[in-house]
Amino acid sequence: MKIALTVNGRPVAGDVTPRTNLADFLREQLLLTGTHVGCEHGICGACTVEIDGEIARSCITYAVACDGSGIRTIEGFDEDALMSRLRQTFTEEHALQCGYCTPGMLIAARDLVRRKGGLSRAEIRTEMSGNLCRCTGYMGIVNAVARVMDERAGFAPSTAPTANGWLGPAPGPGASVAFPDPTPAGGREVSRAAPPPPARPAVARKPVRVTVGDIEDVDGTVRLAQSFVLEHPRQVVWQLMSDPQAVARCMPGASLDGPPRDGNISGRIEVKLGPIAASFAGEGSVKPFPGEYRQLIEGRGGDRRSGSQVSGSVDYRLSATTGEAGGEATRVAVTISYALTGLLAQLGRSAIARDLARRIGETFAQNIDAQLSGAAVAQVPVGGLSLVLQVLAARLRAMLARIFAR
Amino acid sequence: MKPAPFDYLRPQTVEEAVRLLATTPDAKVLAGGQTLGPMLNLRLAQPAVLVDIGRIAELAAVTDDKDAVMIGATVTHAAIEDGRTPDPTGGFLPQVARGIAYRAVRTRGTIGGSLAHADPAADWLSALTALGAEIAIAGVRSSRRVPLSAFVRGAMETELGADELITGIRIRKLSSRARFGYHKICRKTGEFAEAIGVVVDDPERAYFCAVAGATGGRPLVMETRAAPGSGSVTVEDARQLLKGAHFTGDDYELTLHAAALHRAYQRAYAA
Repeated sequence: MKIALTVNGRPVAGDVTPRTNLADFLREQLLLTGTHVGCEHGICGACTVEIDGEIARSCITYAVACDGSGIRTIEGFDEDALMSRLRQTFTEEHALQCGYCTPGMLIAARDLVRRKGGLSRAEIRTEMSGNLCRCTGYMGIVNAVARVMDERAGFAPSTAPTANGWLGPAPGPGASVAFPDPTPAGGREVSRAAPPPPARPAVARKPVRVTVGDIEDVDGTVRLAQSFVLEHPRQVVWQLMSDPQAVARCMPGASLDGPPRDGNISGRIEVKLGPIAASFAGEGSVKPFPGEYRQLIEGRGGDRRSGSQVSGSVDYRLSATTGEAGGEATRVAVTISYALTGLLAQLGRSAIARDLARRIGETFAQNIDAQLSGAAVAQVPVGGLSLVLQVLAARLRAMLARIFAR
Repeated sequence: MKPAPFDYLRPQTVEEAVRLLATTPDAKVLAGGQTLGPMLNLRLAQPAVLVDIGRIAELAAVTDDKDAVMIGATVTHAAIEDGRTPDPTGGFLPQVARGIAYRAVRTRGTIGGSLAHADPAADWLSALTALGAEIAIAGVRSSRRVPLSAFVRGAMETELGADELITGIRIRKLSSRARFGYHKICRKTGEFAEAIGVVVDDPERAYFCAVAGATGGRPLVMETRAAPGSGSVTVEDARQLLKGAHFTGDDYELTLHAAALHRAYQRAYAA
């Protein structure tokens, strides 16, 4: 895609793929290598530049989205008096060692002293926390910023909006000369198949309450137990739940290719968590223990798009109990365990896992109940509800966790 | 890390945006891109098409009617932090905005994008739930307004259809007598919150709401109708409130959330 923008005051034209981030465009097409690329997912701040006067991460901003905007990189501050002063104090205070974070650090520092004055050292640290330095321990950096801020005492910090009143992410609508019409030549309609209708929850009958136990994570294998009571006799519930295809139909996102053959099954589980989507295809086995009203389903599969693998098992056991109205009822105790490897294994937060486990369990129980009551189970939406969702949410507290908090 | 290839569309109007969403398979809305960008780069998200709504003028507008302010979906956290938008809350919104991630993220991250993503640990989700905000949603056929408490189904799961777009957030004005307190606990500035407590009390409007956020699911609204008042809520009271609202979590998490809620009360009723 063709883009036209201004970089350090100079008009620039470029041809980029949509996925080219601004940092790569600056470094590789314009050879402005002062913009550093550190983490490449918006954490470290090394790639900080100004877009229309506001600081931003150039590694998670796509060049195509900057069409028509004004970019200022560290090279564009050579003549800037405030930046000169910061460079000087950075030198004097030993605010850099390897220098990798320095371009981003300087741009963020300049933005801070431009906007604010009279901050305490603790406040400076808070304000500068979006830029990581692995050498200095920050002492020198805070000293340098504090000195420049002190020197400017008496200057009114600039609070004037830089983007002429535009409140959205820069650049505003007026920034671009006509952007090519998004529809392909030859008509207004996008000539692609319409997507399936938006996911809607399966109509809940009388809600089935699901109890979710603690979630254990031992050496990468996550295990959780949950149980619920269905107001149907055990024999009736078993008739349904001994059929792996019926069970799969009630499990959000799961489907089997066909009935088991010699106890072997194959199928897939669709996963959707926010913008994350994966489809695990694989095979497994079914072991019924009819005398115990118990069934063990094991399986393993992979998602080609993310290169992730999952293996796991679902073990459920039915016991007779008395329902709320005193009728015959069945307690279903389910133990799920799984291990995930590959890209998706990096994501996870245990609290989210519990919430998902609850919702998955509830939907599953609701669907089983609906089917037992003769109601048709709507094609279960996968949105946010799937067995493997918990997998996504079960580990990694460091890397991805940070980006979610915005 | 580079994203998987995607196509890029940039509609100029809401009408065009929802039409594109309705007719483009595997499309994802891009607003400020401060959460989606990292997920694309890590290839956790691999949509076929991004629909960039960042330049739709009507989405970056703020309108003020007598009772409420409608903040456009693509208004950035920084615009709210800087007081460049009308503030229906007398200082509460800028205070929350200031604590979101980092300045270089706030300049592009948007209020609507944050709500659409519905991460339980996000600031706006808890703060706006406590304010009783409503979400304005546009679709191909119709537009609707949904209370935020009904909008969020769970972690990263909302009422929003694949062909729908958040257009704005409607926040009723607080009176000058209103009190509010917000506290979040996180290990590092800008990190995702481990616990969030919010208290909003407007005696003139007879409105009170206390919320525990970052619980892993939708924000928990405390089941108290009256404002306990004057900061007399102890940590133990906060624990009981959380239990009463069916808080799930271990004792450590309960302690964190009780502390956040207690501090939110203290701030709300500080002299």
